[in-house]
Amino acid sequence: MTSKRSHKNCALTKISRRTFLKYTGIIAVGVSWHGIDCFGQQSAIGASKGYLLIDSKKCQGCQTCMLACSLVHEGEENLSLARIQVVQNPFGKYPSDILLAQCRQCIDPSCLLACPTGALHADAQRGYVRIVDSEKCIGCRACVLACPYKPGRGIWNFIGGYAQKCDLCINTPYWDEAGGPSGKQACVEACPIGAITFTCSIPRQNGDAGYDVNLRDLSWKMLGYPLD
Amino acid sequence: MYGHAGKILLIDLTIRRCTIIQTSAYEGWVGGHGLGSALFWDLVKDKTIDGFDPTNLITIMTSPLTGTLATGASARVEVQGIGVQSSPIGWFTRSNVGGRFGTMLKYAGWDGVAVIGQADMPIWIDIRNDAVSIRTATHLWGLDTWETQRQIWKEVIGTSVPGDWFDFDSPGIGRRTTQLPAVLTIGPAGENKCRVASLIHDAGNSSGQGGFGAVWGAKNLKAISVIGTGSVTIADPKALMEARLWAKKNYETHLGKLRDIKDPTPIKFHFGFGAQRVPMVMWRRPKEHRPQACTGCHSGCRTRTGTGQGNESSCIDTEFYSHFDLSSNSGPAIKALIKSLENINQKGTAKAVGLVLGRQTDAAYRTADLMQKLGINAGELWYGLPYLRDLYKMGVLGPGKEIECDLPFDEFGQYEFAEKLLHKMAYREGSAAEIADGFYRAARDWGRLEEDLGSGILRFPWWGLPDHYDARAQIEWGYGSIMGDRDINEHDFNMLFWMASPAIWRGRKPLVSAEEVARIYAEKMEPYQNDSLLLDYSTENIYSEHMAKLVAWHRHYTRFWKQSVLFCDIRYADIFNPNRPDHRGMTGEAEPRFFRAVTGRDLSFADGNEIGRRIWNLDNAIWTIQGRHRDMVYFADYIYTQPFAWQFSGSLSMYYLPGRKNGRWKYIPMEGRTLDKVKFDEWKTHFYELEGWSTATGWPMRSTLEQLDMKPVADALEYNGRIGREIA
Repeated sequence: MTSKRSHKNCALTKISRRTFLKYTGIIAVGVSWHGIDCFGQQSAIGASKGYLLIDSKKCQGCQTCMLACSLVHEGEENLSLARIQVVQNPFGKYPSDILLAQCRQCIDPSCLLACPTGALHADAQRGYVRIVDSEKCIGCRACVLACPYKPGRGIWNFIGGYAQKCDLCINTPYWDEAGGPSGKQACVEACPIGAITFTCSIPRQNGDAGYDVNLRDLSWKMLGYPLD
Repeated sequence: MYGHAGKILLIDLTIRRCTIIQTSAYEGWVGGHGLGSALFWDLVKDKTIDGFDPTNLITIMTSPLTGTLATGASARVEVQGIGVQSSPIGWFTRSNVGGRFGTMLKYAGWDGVAVIGQADMPIWIDIRNDAVSIRTATHLWGLDTWETQRQIWKEVIGTSVPGDWFDFDSPGIGRRTTQLPAVLTIGPAGENKCRVASLIHDAGNSSGQGGFGAVWGAKNLKAISVIGTGSVTIADPKALMEARLWAKKNYETHLGKLRDIKDPTPIKFHFGFGAQRVPMVMWRRPKEHRPQACTGCHSGCRTRTGTGQGNESSCIDTEFYSHFDLSSNSGPAIKALIKSLENINQKGTAKAVGLVLGRQTDAAYRTADLMQKLGINAGELWYGLPYLRDLYKMGVLGPGKEIECDLPFDEFGQYEFAEKLLHKMAYREGSAAEIADGFYRAARDWGRLEEDLGSGILRFPWWGLPDHYDARAQIEWGYGSIMGDRDINEHDFNMLFWMASPAIWRGRKPLVSAEEVARIYAEKMEPYQNDSLLLDYSTENIYSEHMAKLVAWHRHYTRFWKQSVLFCDIRYADIFNPNRPDHRGMTGEAEPRFFRAVTGRDLSFADGNEIGRRIWNLDNAIWTIQGRHRDMVYFADYIYTQPFAWQFSGSLSMYYLPGRKNGRWKYIPMEGRTLDKVKFDEWKTHFYELEGWSTATGWPMRSTLEQLDMKPVADALEYNGRIGREIA
């Protein structure tokens, strides 16, 4: 776990830590757009070695991912505690009738930077996945509020009184599969439609195109659904 | 029991009081239908009341599996009460609705809601976790179902457009959800107490059968809204996840392997766990659309579209007007062909031509949407609209005709006609407004009931209710419907038709032989397992004790596993699965496996069926008190006098089921068959004997009820003078 102190030591003179991370993030995006992970060396906050990508045009809104996530992490079914959220408008027009909100394992994680105790950290032993140590969490909810996306990807566990977030299934006491970047993710495994996938490549950080991708193939077309 | 929230909400609208019933008091009935029937028995003292009576109890019950990862069992609720649609008696009946209402009810901490009484003004029920309020609905009364829901969403969470967290404990971050409230509501049809009014949830989830929309209207109940942030407890979470992935790996259709399948015909049909992942919509699908599923389902049976039209409508919603749209908007040559076929009474073939060669407009989508918004039962329209049109073509109905009717039949197939028709039904507008209470009652009011049930132009074969799969062909469907209270709408054995017939149409062999499919089905049907004659649909066998066993098994299985545990009918039973090398589905193993993982209770498949038998007997006890007698259990005349012709193909041989001819199994075309009234009556005796009901009356016997631990029910029947006489 990197401490706030080590973050400060990594900052360049005259450039704030946030700016440093912002620009290195952009460089990473520029290079990774071509499928190359530019982080041959450690960044101030190591880039996660795993990301969830979704296809919001493929999703059927069954919320199986949410049910699976809650089940393997909490041992019970609770949509409010699911670390991936599927939001839908029954009267909406495809494709904007469904919004999939997965944690982006941001290169520049606002949630991590907001955490005053380091409970939310990039786990160096497990692929720099942005993860909450619930024992250290003081329940300030700063991480929950800090997420710049809507709905916020930080989950407030109002039952346990601590924050939690997608950990790529590193800690899943109710599932016997190994998780993390080298393992399996419950939402990916459970999704009946193949609308969620896992990648080690850093997605484009600007906008949604890096995280909301096209996972539809010829089989999808054979069923009569659009490919574009 | 794990999986149960622990409490049922009972609301008395007359005195505006909410009471909590502990689910544990009814745990033996498990969930869904079992809970509903037991609650009805206990809380409704006079079971002979009319459905509009304020003391009618409407129950909306989940199951322990609702809100969990159990595939195809997570979303539904069972709706029960005395209906107002059937005739001559409004039976204690059932309906069922999917989407996400049931899951949200569980997350709010409730196993179900029961409503009794009558409010003195329009109200809606606002459930937010364990906080329940009865709110004025005068501003909602008159709104369609979609607008009602949008309005309620704004009132509960401040917006009708989802996208962010809603904090219950605002201004702080505490209990929160991203989900919209789940609302079940009536539309104008229910408000005007139309006997064919439905309950609607989201865009297209419907509790259609029974006329519960009208019952709610009589109670001044506009809507029930629920939003929750709680949990469903699971006995063995690991086992549940394993079960989900096991079912996915071994029984679902794998998208990646679609291209490898040489002949996809067997899995192109819509039903079954292993069905191809296409929605169950019968209209031409627009380019821009996605499949859409109820909570937890692996294979969505409906769609959402780029225009928003037709969202979440499926099956009959999408069929009842689409073929008219197709036919009337096709080119002149096709129109002429269709007309000539209709003129020679080949209506089924005409319909098929329209379906294949017609040109569809958005009339079909807009009509389905309007039907959902007004809250009208699609099933009633499916067979009622052709009846209306037949009367028009006969010169009997129309402007200035014997039956005055101001509908613009020259615009039949266009949206304008449908709009006027649906408005007439929902608002009882203009002439021939009798159709607001259904086409059976309209025919009776017009003095045409006997004639039209005799000719078969009014295809309402059981209890004044519309047809679905024909009793002359799909035997267990018809028998189950007439021995019960309504169109069973259970496709388990209907799969026998869908598995074989499309292959035969294309000149191919069905995936398995008739003998093999009979064997596959029979293996699952404990305690009658391995009696393949249960699946013999030949005329020589359909009045036999074997067919009685089939129907009895079906009643018991569905009463428990599908209507109480709430495995969805579209995906279960998984008896025949085309994705398996041996074609054997997971029914018999899957249902207990999911049930055990969630509840911790080690209930065998057969034990579950036995609970189903208990529930079925309780239902028959209620019907018996309502006035049922074997002498009133018979089909409409046309079932006995008119040869079967499938609605989509006319007299062409297209409806195949397995059976034996000269001792050999084959797929037999059902066209041309009628039922023999005398033989059917004899069959009833087989059925009553099997069920332990009096063969003289059809009433349950005391010995049967006591063996099922229902002595109080036997006592009540005896008190009412309606206990079945024991066989000496």
